[in-house]
Amino acid sequence: MTTAIKQLFHWMPFLFGIGFIAPLIAQMLQYWQVAAPVGLSPIQFGLLIGAPWGLYATLRGRWL
Amino acid sequence: MNELSTLQPGVALAPDQGEAPAIALGAGDGLDAHTRRTLLQQERAIARKYTSDPRKMWPYTAVTLGCFALWLAFWPLAMLDILPLWLGFVASTVFAAGGYITSHEAMHSNIGRPGTKARFWNEAVGQVATIILIFPFSMARMMHLHHHYYTNDPDKDPDYTDAAPGKYSAWYKTWLNRQPGVDGSIHHYKRILERIGTPAAKAALRDTMILQLFSMAFFFTMAWSGYAMEVALLWWLPRHLGLSYIRFWLSWAPHHPRTGTGRYDNTRVFRTWIGHHLSMGMQYHVVHHLYPEVPNHMTRYAYREMKPLLEARGVDCSPLKD
Repeated sequence: MTTAIKQLFHWMPFLFGIGFIAPLIAQMLQYWQVAAPVGLSPIQFGLLIGAPWGLYATLRGRWL
Repeated sequence: MNELSTLQPGVALAPDQGEAPAIALGAGDGLDAHTRRTLLQQERAIARKYTSDPRKMWPYTAVTLGCFALWLAFWPLAMLDILPLWLGFVASTVFAAGGYITSHEAMHSNIGRPGTKARFWNEAVGQVATIILIFPFSMARMMHLHHHYYTNDPDKDPDYTDAAPGKYSAWYKTWLNRQPGVDGSIHHYKRILERIGTPAAKAALRDTMILQLFSMAFFFTMAWSGYAMEVALLWWLPRHLGLSYIRFWLSWAPHHPRTGTGRYDNTRVFRTWIGHHLSMGMQYHVVHHLYPEVPNHMTRYAYREMKPLLEARGVDCSPLKD
């Protein structure tokens, strides 16, 4: 149980990228009426940014 | 009790007044035991005058519970487009930063001492005030008291990771310490609690885990339901801004350069450029570390009265004129 929770927290930045940053980007695009590039839907674009960013933060330990 | 004028070395006992002591007394650590004891008695007498009276601490409770209720109300109001998000964002940021001040009084039991009727409100304030910061009261209280016991100890002071050579690097550090792979802020607190390992420390770790998981579940659910901007502006960004503000003004500014570990040199008196209220009264943090039972809003008055005693102890009070 403890190990599972520690793993969950270890991967939390990645989950945060998918769970929060991706829809935030999508909704910001919609709010400002900006089209996602190369024909992607807003959420597809959000996931394209949010998931790798979260993975980067998980592996490197920093968001920037 | 002796008058200060007969005890303060080098001031009233100047030779030109013809009252020089037989043995000259040095300042700060050079004081003899009798002088130190008498100064301490005078210091305590002043502190007693300003010690919190739980009957008069109700504004802390009212403000905390009122702001928390408002913050909860912001959610449906923002989701229904009744409340402008920018307004909710500004207010939530103020609540996030200010919440730590009221919680801080609860950490020191200033709103209600153990075993009294007011204790319920003390604990209620503590539990509610730092929810926006995703910082449970059990962890906040334990780590803050630890900070008091081991102020500026590089290994034991939970807030030592806020140390930075200058104000700009200090602001940067407030952000850096929250990064997932950096041993600062709440990550550092978790490690200290694991090391302490007592039932209370384990409970604090459990509370932290629950609050963090709950908040993340809330963030994700709301975001995927179409309310990501509401979460960003009512909780996520206010939390980050609030934490940075608190870390800078409540931890870095009053303890910089974090070299002293003694009773009178583990804080510093400083002049603030943003005013007394915006710096949350931290210029007088020395009084808080000496007498945590003096509530935040009274430290200014206690400091003014204590100033000659503090100077006699070697505290550099020169940055403040009053």
